[in-house]
Amino acid sequence: MSVVGPALRAEWRRVVSTRLWWALLIPVVALAVLVNLFGSLLGEGLGDAGDLPVLPASIAFTLTLTAVFAAVYGTVAAAGEFRHRTVTTAYLTAGGRGRVLVGKLVAGGCVGVLYAVVAVTTGVVAGVLGQGAGRVPGTGALVGVAVVGVAVAALWGVLGAAVGVLLANQVGALVVLLVYLQVGELVLAAVMNNSGSAALARLTPYLPGNAGDVAIYDFPARALAGPDLADQVVEQLAGVTAPPPWWGALSVLAGWAALAAVLAWTVADRRDVT
Amino acid sequence: MDDGSGRITVHDLTKQFGSVSAVAGLDLTVEPGGVTGFLGPNGSGKTTTLRMILGLVTPTSGEARINGMRYAELDAPGRVVGAVLEAQGFHPARSGRAHLRVAAAALGVPDRRVDEVLGLVGLADPAGRAVGGWSLGMKQRLALATALLGDPRVLVLDEPANGLDPEGIAWLREFLRGFARQGRTVLVSSHLLAEVEQGVDHLVVIDAGRCVYQGRLERLRGTGQARVLVRCPDPLRLAQALAAAGVVEIDTLHDGRLGVAGVDAARVGDVALAAGVAVHGLVEERVDLEQMFLQLVSEGRR
Repeated sequence: MSVVGPALRAEWRRVVSTRLWWALLIPVVALAVLVNLFGSLLGEGLGDAGDLPVLPASIAFTLTLTAVFAAVYGTVAAAGEFRHRTVTTAYLTAGGRGRVLVGKLVAGGCVGVLYAVVAVTTGVVAGVLGQGAGRVPGTGALVGVAVVGVAVAALWGVLGAAVGVLLANQVGALVVLLVYLQVGELVLAAVMNNSGSAALARLTPYLPGNAGDVAIYDFPARALAGPDLADQVVEQLAGVTAPPPWWGALSVLAGWAALAAVLAWTVADRRDVT
Repeated sequence: MDDGSGRITVHDLTKQFGSVSAVAGLDLTVEPGGVTGFLGPNGSGKTTTLRMILGLVTPTSGEARINGMRYAELDAPGRVVGAVLEAQGFHPARSGRAHLRVAAAALGVPDRRVDEVLGLVGLADPAGRAVGGWSLGMKQRLALATALLGDPRVLVLDEPANGLDPEGIAWLREFLRGFARQGRTVLVSSHLLAEVEQGVDHLVVIDAGRCVYQGRLERLRGTGQARVLVRCPDPLRLAQALAAAGVVEIDTLHDGRLGVAGVDAARVGDVALAAGVAVHGLVEERVDLEQMFLQLVSEGRR
């Protein structure tokens, strides 16, 4: 703690002295309310909703949508140091570039945790209100999806911060991140799934965006479809072939985050700050 | 080992940006207890040199040391060296105080230090407002306040007078002199000699990434060679006569006058009279530091 403690304290002050963290929280809350309100209404309309744990599924859908905001926060905040040329002061005062990077990664992760916790909390409230009866079906799956969702958001916050430090260009890094997540990975996964090569198709759940989705959908899929059909449900929801269990998928995403952090460190350590 | 001297030493420092050589085998020493001016035209490698001293730019070869250590090896670099750099920015939405509180946390200095340095640079009043609306001069003061947070032994400033009004420049000059009088080190860069002339004890002049002068300011004044400027209808004959009399440092100026170095006006007049050459005007050139500076710089280019 003594080595990075001051860097973390400084990073905390950086986070709370600008509006970005709560500006991005607004769409997270809006999505959580909308998805779970309509999700639960849809469940009611299906008639047998009383037996089906719809809420874990709609919470899971919410978390796959809101994870990107953690990544966006990490990227914008980290690359912002370069855009506003505050990185010079950050490096000079921290006594080492590694401490600044660690501060950024931890901040991204913490903001990710915050977003996921808020998304789950407001989502559950909205879902319960939408169902009217105040029943919370599938409590076990709900806790599972919440914990995994928080972990996924934290990892995306770390990954986003690493991408921001790596590319050091705020607009560029944000465009790369969003284009990859919203378009790039969908196209890539579709090509891999339809390539005719089973080996290639089986790699689709190991792409970072898919890995996060697979981890999040694991619990609700098993609650909804039972252990035998769960994998097929996850395949449909995440658009992948042969998904690993949630812990496997989470490890894959953690691996991507670690890789991005190592790349960011390698580049940032050598970069001339002019 | 950190020798705590406050001395900056640069040895054979070189930085290549692609095919461009920004700094080329630079040697210099900055001693504590005085203000050292770091002078050179724009693009001469001053900023790159300062950033290499501060560990922000990695040298292609050679090294820069503070207290006998490379910047990255210093135990608490932020408390040894304070820096005001040109491209140092501030998040426009963050207040001056918030900016300093971030730096104070990173440096591990208590928060009351923030108000101390704000008072020191005269920013106590606007400190709560977002920096986005501040003038360039205020931002320069905030950068100085940031540099002073860790109570450093060494101050490095890159063109700190930019954006300051004359009053601010005078204040900064006095401040830096007082800082140096405490036995600390000040290295301040400028592309204008007039800006540092009054406030510095030592001078380092660089051009095209090389050191062209290093020493006390007075010594530079002393080396200045005065010339006699002669207006004459037949400069060629006068030049020949002067050469015959052993005066060889003769230039032809743009306006047709002769610039004669190493002699006084009386001697030139005597030689002209003896040779029967008419002289229409004789002026003794004043030794101007600015001219010395330009001369040094143009010699470096040759």
